[in-house]
Amino acid sequence: MPELLLAAERLAAAVDPGAHGLRRAGSGDEFWQYRPATEGDPAQAIDWRRSARSDAAFVRERERQTPQAAAIWVAGGPGMDWTGDPARPTKADRARLIGLALGLILLRGGERVAIGAADARAGRMQAETLARDLLAAGPADLPPPGTLRPQRRLVLIGDFLGDPAPVERLVHEAAGIAAGGALLQVLDPIEEAFPFSGAVRFRQPGGDAHQTRNAGALRDRYLARLEARRGQLSRMAEAAGWHFGTHDTAAPPAQALLWLAKALAP
Amino acid sequence: MMMLGPLGFAAPWVLAAGIGLPVLWFLLRAVPPRAREVVFPGTQLLFGLADPTPVTQRTPWWLLALRLGAVAAAILALAGPVWRPGPQIGGSGPLLVMIDAGWAAAPGWQETQARAAQAVEQAQAQGRPVALWLADGQGGRGDGPFFAEAGTAEAALRAAAPQPWETRYPVDPARFLSGAPKRLDTLWLADGAEHVHRPALLAALAARGSVMVVPPSRILRALSLTGGAQPALTLSASAPGDLPAILAMGPDPQGVPRQLARLTPPPPTAGPGGVTATLPIDLPPELRNRVTRFVLEGEASAGAVVLADDRVRRRKVALVGDARATEGQALLSPLHYLREALAPSADLVEGSLADVLPAAPDVIALVDAAPGAQAEALAQWVAEGGTLIRFAGPRMAAMQDLGADPLLPVRLRPGGRAAGGALSWGAPRGIAPFAGDGLFAGLSIPAEVMVRAQLLPEPDPDLPARTLAQLTDGTPLVTRAAMGEGQLVLVHSSANAEWSNLALTGLFIQMLDRLVQSARVDDRAETEATAAAGAPHWQPQLVLDGLGRPQPPGDLAPVPAAAFAEGPSPVAPAGLYAAGERRAALNAGGPVTPATWPGAVVESSGAAPGTALGGWLLALAALALAADALGSAIIAGSRRPRRGAA
Repeated sequence: MPELLLAAERLAAAVDPGAHGLRRAGSGDEFWQYRPATEGDPAQAIDWRRSARSDAAFVRERERQTPQAAAIWVAGGPGMDWTGDPARPTKADRARLIGLALGLILLRGGERVAIGAADARAGRMQAETLARDLLAAGPADLPPPGTLRPQRRLVLIGDFLGDPAPVERLVHEAAGIAAGGALLQVLDPIEEAFPFSGAVRFRQPGGDAHQTRNAGALRDRYLARLEARRGQLSRMAEAAGWHFGTHDTAAPPAQALLWLAKALAP
Repeated sequence: MMMLGPLGFAAPWVLAAGIGLPVLWFLLRAVPPRAREVVFPGTQLLFGLADPTPVTQRTPWWLLALRLGAVAAAILALAGPVWRPGPQIGGSGPLLVMIDAGWAAAPGWQETQARAAQAVEQAQAQGRPVALWLADGQGGRGDGPFFAEAGTAEAALRAAAPQPWETRYPVDPARFLSGAPKRLDTLWLADGAEHVHRPALLAALAARGSVMVVPPSRILRALSLTGGAQPALTLSASAPGDLPAILAMGPDPQGVPRQLARLTPPPPTAGPGGVTATLPIDLPPELRNRVTRFVLEGEASAGAVVLADDRVRRRKVALVGDARATEGQALLSPLHYLREALAPSADLVEGSLADVLPAAPDVIALVDAAPGAQAEALAQWVAEGGTLIRFAGPRMAAMQDLGADPLLPVRLRPGGRAAGGALSWGAPRGIAPFAGDGLFAGLSIPAEVMVRAQLLPEPDPDLPARTLAQLTDGTPLVTRAAMGEGQLVLVHSSANAEWSNLALTGLFIQMLDRLVQSARVDDRAETEATAAAGAPHWQPQLVLDGLGRPQPPGDLAPVPAAAFAEGPSPVAPAGLYAAGERRAALNAGGPVTPATWPGAVVESSGAAPGTALGGWLLALAALALAADALGSAIIAGSRRPRRGAA
């Protein structure tokens, strides 16, 4: 867990989503600025201590804050725990790293974050809870029921190679209660390129097998199916007001993280 | 043997298996390579996809060619291919394979055996009866060749070995061939040297049919020893060429056998037939006495080994006398005679006893003097193996305590006796003939030798056993006794011409040589046991085999002196023999005269017996199969997907 947390902190420090802070006056706890009192300001708004140091009257303003909640879920199916090259991390490792780094960025922005159906809390202390929950999450592709709550955004990270119907139901349901969110598809380069030829027996991790005599001839159709799956997910996300992005494990995780942070910005 | 150009096949019918190759081609084509298994999460996207072209995947053509090549190479290899097989022996009748099996055949024995085996195999293929005759002079196989199935000859051939004596042919060719067929062809595997009875045998065989002679492919070399005052090694070779070095082998000071010296022979001189080079043995005496044999470097034959015997060992003799007597008149000094007698055959050291004892001589000759103060050191030196030879003389006769001197083989009476003088009764005495089994056996006694004075021993039961030589009246002239590991010898007369004229004769030199050479004979204890009555027998101590390797003698019978004198033979193989205290070696090597072969076909030495390709082809087939396994692994075995463009 410390390794994951350290890597996620490093990653989160390197990524600055920029537009997240609402740097203007509003209802919040933090001090924002003093401004001269104008017509219409109620008397109790005057900060007398500040006003006594000069002739004019000053009003103490607070920064406007919109604390929000977000839930993150990393798919844990057997297919995620796979990499095409020992030099690359497995898809699950990469997904957890991105998920935790996203959580850290959101915490930095003062938001409340949770893994799955847990209670979303804000603050630095929540980071360790996030890391622990991420590593302890079960091998399910979709978050447990109860994760979906109004005004709480949901981030799903996974490979989405399985049956798309449950994902679609979940996104529909979220759209119904006006919960926004994002889908990030993490794939290995092997899965995107399909560099096989000859007689091959493909076996799904912990699942069925598919045998072929000429894998090279299957490449085009495999890539077409993958493209179709991405199109389907993208349309589905768009219809629900969600965002859909892809990431491959050979690329630096900062790109995907930046995209996610921007997609979640209000 | 079937011939295809320069390629011969020993078993051509195996080639028929090549018909099966096309069938194999079809079978191999039909079997596809095994599918490799790949773990791939994207498999879910593949479900339901059918192969676009449902054609069976063929084995790659290069893999197919590799497998067919391997099988073809194996078939060819089993057919026994020979590249440029050796010349075929003419004729079709009985075949006599004659093998020279003396020491001269030993260096090339492997080739000889292989050539003979090839000939026997050929004869077997042609159904010819074969007889094998080993010209090693040993009986036991009847008078002549025995023709039978080739298998019998093959077994005899495998058991044959070169012998440590010269090649010997049957004495009477007519008797040798009396039981043989009228027509027979001969393959003669010669050792390259001339031997007795060979021309007659060759003529007799040529009269019966064709004779093909296979000379050895290498130069025949032999080593022999010339004895004498300065022993020399003679290196003989059948043809000019570089002479190998001569290695002197023997135990080092720790007793471990090793190479003691390496002698480079001088440039050879052309002699009758071959070339010879003579190399005098010039080694320090300490080294020379340790040498047990000389061998020609790189020559594995009994003829290339010279076993060192008493002739080679050069003794270090210390002469100790009274210095006063040597002043002035040299011819009166006893040391002068000893010096003249021993100088050619031994290394001499002179001085007082205290001077010579640290030089560790083999023999000390103490002339007409008493040990004096060095008596104890001298006694210890004798007990450790030294030989002390004392000569009597006037001063010794005058000694008061002569009877108590411990360094004498017998107890002496003081005074001595004189015979033939003006005041004596008797005439000077001659020397009695030496005992046939004694140290001086065989030496001839000149008639003019007379002894005028001598020292007499006290009567003693041991006296006859200790006497080596005696005068005609039975009184001892030379006595000897063992002391510790060494021996004490006393010559009861003087070493100069004062008491006898023995020192003026050649007998004196011969007797001294025998005495000096008897020094440090290790197994002196056996002396009495082996010295049988009558003519001496030589007891083998160590024999060589045909390849020049020393072997224990086993149950070889003692060799009579007459047979021993004839040189190495089946009853007396080359080796080291002992008779009494003398050790003599029978060395097989001698002058080498190249043989000539009138009326016979001589196979040129360049004609190799053909290169058998079978082993190489089998290796090639194995290599191809290994490459096939590797190729199959590349195609199907690896589970790891190939690195693709991500």
